[in-house]
Amino acid sequence: MLVYQHRSALTISLVRTVGRHPGRENPVRIAKITATTVTTAALALGLAACGSGETPESSPSAAAAGGPKYAGKTLTFWRLGDSNPDAQKYTDELVAEFEKQTGAKVKVEWIPWPQVNDKFTAAAAGGAGPDVTEIGNDQVPLWQSQEALEPITDIVASGDQAQIPKNLMGLETIDGETYAVPWGGGSRAVLYRADWFKELKIEVPKSWDELVAAAKKIQAEKGSDVDGFAFNGGSDANHLLGALAWTAGGEYAVKEGDKWVGKLTEPGFKTGFAQYTGLVTDGLSSKSRLNQNTTEIRTRFSNNKVGMYLTAAWDLASIEEESKGKLKGDKLAFFPLPSQAGGEAQSFLGGNDIAVWGTAKEKEAAKEFVKLASGKEWGVKYATDGGLLPVYPEALAKLAEDPVQAPFAAAFAKAKAFPADPQWTEANETKAVLQNAARKVIEGKESADEALAAANKELEDILNAS
Amino acid sequence: MTNTSTLSRGGGRSSDPGPRRPRPPRKAGGLPAWSIPYVLLIPGLLVIGALLLYPLIQMAIIAFQKVGLVQISGKKPATWVGLDNFTSFVDNDIFWSSLRNTVVFAVIAVPLTLVLGTAVGVLLHRLGKKMSLFVIIGIMFAWAVPPVAQGVIWRWLFDAEAGIVNWALNLLPDWLSTALFGRADWTGEPWLNDAWSIYMVLVICVVWAGFPFVAVSVLAGLKGVPAELYEAARVDGAAPWRTFWKITFPLLKPVFAVLTVLSIIWDFKVFSQLYVLAGTSNREAYNLSMYAVTEAFKAPPKMGSGAAIALVLTVILLIVTAAYIRQMFKQEDT
Repeated sequence: MLVYQHRSALTISLVRTVGRHPGRENPVRIAKITATTVTTAALALGLAACGSGETPESSPSAAAAGGPKYAGKTLTFWRLGDSNPDAQKYTDELVAEFEKQTGAKVKVEWIPWPQVNDKFTAAAAGGAGPDVTEIGNDQVPLWQSQEALEPITDIVASGDQAQIPKNLMGLETIDGETYAVPWGGGSRAVLYRADWFKELKIEVPKSWDELVAAAKKIQAEKGSDVDGFAFNGGSDANHLLGALAWTAGGEYAVKEGDKWVGKLTEPGFKTGFAQYTGLVTDGLSSKSRLNQNTTEIRTRFSNNKVGMYLTAAWDLASIEEESKGKLKGDKLAFFPLPSQAGGEAQSFLGGNDIAVWGTAKEKEAAKEFVKLASGKEWGVKYATDGGLLPVYPEALAKLAEDPVQAPFAAAFAKAKAFPADPQWTEANETKAVLQNAARKVIEGKESADEALAAANKELEDILNAS
Repeated sequence: MTNTSTLSRGGGRSSDPGPRRPRPPRKAGGLPAWSIPYVLLIPGLLVIGALLLYPLIQMAIIAFQKVGLVQISGKKPATWVGLDNFTSFVDNDIFWSSLRNTVVFAVIAVPLTLVLGTAVGVLLHRLGKKMSLFVIIGIMFAWAVPPVAQGVIWRWLFDAEAGIVNWALNLLPDWLSTALFGRADWTGEPWLNDAWSIYMVLVICVVWAGFPFVAVSVLAGLKGVPAELYEAARVDGAAPWRTFWKITFPLLKPVFAVLTVLSIIWDFKVFSQLYVLAGTSNREAYNLSMYAVTEAFKAPPKMGSGAAIALVLTVILLIVTAAYIRQMFKQEDT
């Protein structure tokens, strides 16, 4: 190294005159020192960046002091979604009741929906997990396949829970064992700004064309940065796309024998897909927000930037909070998503379940908690307080009389579910197969036929992977 | 102990009456002298071994296994799948577009960072003391911004509706904007939709945050070059360009070598900024790091396949760095 530096300095014709200068070694040495320092500093920085750690949470486990059955024990309970006053109040009451009955304390943690799968992943990999968790019904097959859920067949076989219709447990029952108890049903409808509709004299849309016209009118009056009807291209995009495609007679995939066969290229699905991408290509929703999910749309809605979007009643409480109380009551209303020809669209059969996490420390107490929460009293209260549909038949029948809930009850009757397969989450969120197909079509890189053919093959590959 | 110090200080003229035995110069704790450097290295090696080598080896092993949550939590043993994780890349479009994005990004960002950094370094050298200090402090702020914050800053600047970039482009006179870009209206231009424009923003972001380090390192190197060399060059009538290539560049070659290797390493594995700018749902904009993370940690996690991607990235980096260092040494020998 030193020899080289020496020589290269000497070979420079311009500097030969000063080649014999006593200080000529200096530049070389300093350059080397600089180089070493630079490297060391860089390595040190790199290491420092890796050095952040997590403080493990220690759960105090005081000795049981006699009295109630689970006195001194603490359960961790994950509630999903953003905490809002109604949901918080319900949870507090439920927890207080459980403590009164069993003496066990319950620590509640709120997990926003877009983070749910990441949190479950971390918990299943050995991180801090819950004892009891709320869970989306379409997530149950995935987490069951990861062996992250405790079978709780005995809970649904007896007591109140035996009254829950078995057809609501299609996703939860796998190989004869039940892994979660349906807690509340969530079908979706269009939430709209009733005050804007009134101000602009727009009738509630009865067909898709009327919905498009209403959206355009809102944009014309309220500014071009307002989404007339918000496009959802994020993690829960298929709730919107599914509703449109199912209504047009389409399907994602159908199980034939033991293989999933993709149906994305069939005319029905194509029609729904065209309506879906049309939301952006027709300008109802801005091209700059192709990734937004329902949570992001809701935030924009709370800030007067959205006229209509597809969601469920649980958003109402959060909107009131996010808009600092400005958007509530009769400023907001729902209507069932209309189909292209008129009439109600088919909705996604969503729903939240409650389950015991597989690595729960206090399994018995956790089961006791699930039993209480999903029983008739607290189960129906969960649904009605949280803007969902109760899973108990008599309570559901009562709802059809409530004007706010009627559109959901109507949609619930026609609701359909996504392919019941553990790999569905991979296609739905991780690989975002249809979101990416829609992006290609919206940006004009591929025709809808090309994009759907590719997506169909990918969907089949994912669903049939073991 | 006294004896030793006297020996070293007094050399052979010690007045110690005792019999003098020849002994190794610095003896401590009964260890032979040759072992001391190695003993001192042990703590460092242990830390590196535990924090770097062990995970690295684990990653290489996992790359040939099927590992998911069930295996991680110990409910089932991991199964060996041979090269399956790698062969699945062959007909995987996401892998190839990620590889392309990674390489193209590095090929553009590394030279840009070095050229801009060197130019600013040379400028700093010519500035007066106060001005130079002022500029250094200014640019070091960019280097000091954490990667996630860098992403947030540039994401906001390029935001479609509230972004200052679209606002500024709209301020341009229409004829100029049309002449330059073929359009006059930039309202709502979505910069962070398409892979190419995401990467354009990413290049700007990474170069912006990376050049100050290069500039300051080059400046440190330049401080060591004796002024006489430049005087002589001036006397001989050399133009600045020629002076740079004949004096500055050859003398600072070791500095440039290190900076180049570091930039290559940093730019190949850029992650945080891209994660903030593009999010995980736009898979056309993945680079290898992003792809590895989504494979390994998004539900349902496929850690084997994620590790395989990371291994591919590591091997590419090793090859590029090794080839570059080899090239350097080859040049030295001629």
